Amino acid sequence: MPGSNGRELTLAQAIREALAEEMRRDSRVFILGEDIAEAGHPFKVLTGLVEEFGTDRVLDTPISEAGFTGVAVGAAMTGLRPVVDIMFGDFVTLTMDQMVNQAAKVHYMSGGKWKVPMVLRTTLGATRRSAAQHSQSLHAWFCHVPGLKVVLPSTPYDAKGLLKTAIRDENPVAFFEDKMMYRLKGPVPEEEYTIPFGVADIKRAGDDITIVATSSMVQVALGAAKLLEEAGISAEVIDPRTLWPLDEKTLIESAKKTSRVIVMDEGYGRYGVVAEIASVIAEGAFFDLEAPVKKMGAMHVPIPFSPPLEDATVPTEQSVFDAARAMCG
Amino acid sequence: MAVSVVMPALEMAQETGKLLAWLKKEGDPVKKGEPLLEIETDKVTVEVEAPADGVLAGLRSRAGDEVPVGQTIAWIVAPGEQPPAETAPAVTGRAMSSSVSVSETPGTKAEPAKSLEPTARVSPKAKRLAKELGVDLNKVRGSGPDGVITGEDVEAAAKARPAAAAEPAGLSSIARLMAERTTHSWTTTPHFFLVREIDAGPLLAAREHFSGTAAVKLTHTDLLIALVARVVAQHPKFNASWTGEAIHLHPEVNISLAAAVRDGVVGVVIPKANTATLAEIAARRADLSERARAGHLRPPDVTGGTFTISNLGMYQVDAFSAIITPPQAAVLAVGAIADRVVAVNGQPAVRKMMTVTLSSDHRVVDGAQAAVFLNDLAEAFREPQNRLA
Repeated sequence: MPGSNGRELTLAQAIREALAEEMRRDSRVFILGEDIAEAGHPFKVLTGLVEEFGTDRVLDTPISEAGFTGVAVGAAMTGLRPVVDIMFGDFVTLTMDQMVNQAAKVHYMSGGKWKVPMVLRTTLGATRRSAAQHSQSLHAWFCHVPGLKVVLPSTPYDAKGLLKTAIRDENPVAFFEDKMMYRLKGPVPEEEYTIPFGVADIKRAGDDITIVATSSMVQVALGAAKLLEEAGISAEVIDPRTLWPLDEKTLIESAKKTSRVIVMDEGYGRYGVVAEIASVIAEGAFFDLEAPVKKMGAMHVPIPFSPPLEDATVPTEQSVFDAARAMCG
Repeated sequence: MAVSVVMPALEMAQETGKLLAWLKKEGDPVKKGEPLLEIETDKVTVEVEAPADGVLAGLRSRAGDEVPVGQTIAWIVAPGEQPPAETAPAVTGRAMSSSVSVSETPGTKAEPAKSLEPTARVSPKAKRLAKELGVDLNKVRGSGPDGVITGEDVEAAAKARPAAAAEPAGLSSIARLMAERTTHSWTTTPHFFLVREIDAGPLLAAREHFSGTAAVKLTHTDLLIALVARVVAQHPKFNASWTGEAIHLHPEVNISLAAAVRDGVVGVVIPKANTATLAEIAARRADLSERARAGHLRPPDVTGGTFTISNLGMYQVDAFSAIITPPQAAVLAVGAIADRVVAVNGQPAVRKMMTVTLSSDHRVVDGAQAAVFLNDLAEAFREPQNRLA
């Protein structure tokens, strides 16, 4: 990590630092959402922001996702740079008209006269025992819509650098944080940095198999890669970091190098992110593949509340290890 | 009733044949005896004829495939009939003719059917590499999950190929065989060489003489063949083979004539040349030369030779030593006929001369015998008209 000087932050701290820095840097930046001011967000991501920036720039809203997302779209169109907080990613369903039909379309339908420089921050990820309505990973919905950018950080460093880029972007960005990773620690340098969109990061280099993983699945992939190393299989782990724009080149090059690919994402496996990335790789690297690209997403079921059942719906280090072993013969 | 088309065995010890081209397409109607495909054996290119009337179906081999002898490569079926799914192994004698097996109940014979289709699955990478490296996937064992053939398997197979197979793609059977045979002969046959200058004047005169009477245009080579064959007939050990334990004398004098073809040299055979007339020899030689140039030689054209003549006179070569073609015992290398100053009755004179070099297998003949043979040959050249009349 360039110049981290050993400083470590949690993912939640990295997000908070990115927001604070951008709010200091640009007075047009403000945040709005449920329980984000005095409460500092149920996941304690935003603690302290209201003290520094006041309630004019850290707005507590009613429980009205469609409404305050619409407020954000309008604010962005009229010159502000709102950051919307949707506590649980499951409730992006309520924001969909604003995001899909307004935010994503305005720039295009106004012939470029309007722009919507907003960020919608929300969460994904299961295994928090939050049951079917608070555990989903619905980022694929946004990936499907032209006009929206979709970001999924997997480390504190990436989270900070990508969020700053998102806030500065002139287009609507959906920014998904894994609620189970808020306490994940990692090096984050003191000094200013941003991370460009559309640049995948090779989290671990390897030769025998490529594991493409997003967000929560990056740590699982890295754990599986360790197990695989003990079994004599060298796994490369790649995090696309932004699903749109997507760094197809890096993914395809890695696939060509290793000839075997697993794609992991915590969204539903069917019709999802894993399917799209798998098809990109299959098209780009077909004649270098030894095996079909393996998709590993969430099981196609409502997420169960029962802990053993819930755990069974998402890929684990062991299941990735088993799949990789089978593919490598 | 489906009739199988199999890769025929055209030569002794032939194990595979290379499919050069299909002359008919899948679904084409064919008549018995019509040329169906072209194959290349170690020595020759041969057209294989349709074994029956019907429709060509179930093509299992493509141009360029090396196919084991006896393997079914297609079927002739009745219109609308499906070719049998499995191949009943064809029983092939190693006969010099296309083997045709008729199968009414395919698959009932005991041996497992050999299919050309790879039974294992092949990864996309392996398929691409096989094409690039020229690896036959039928011969690759898969090491992947469920026996999938992987790119690594193909690369390993490419590395494991013997050097000959790793030669640049397109090395023909003829070129490869020439390399193998000459190496084998040169390293295992104890060659020795006798050289003799011969006055070719009478030969030229004889050609003039006989040309008037023959229907075919006579060449020096035709006269050479006829004369040499008649001398060989008087020296049975020059028409013999070393068997490893004994000398086998051949009953017939079949002269092989070295002929240049596209990728090498083959010995086309004039059978019983010692008794054949000049006209017969000339006709046979002309036909063989033509077909050698066109690449249409058939197995009988190049097998059964007992003594070889190699003539490089047309290339203005003065003299050269030839490598014996096993299992023959000798080869006569003939140089160009050219004006030379020679001593005649103590005086320099210009004569049409040529130099012949006899390569002999010392296991079969010795120097003295070779010298006598060469002397008799020189005598024959003195009066060719009498010998050939």
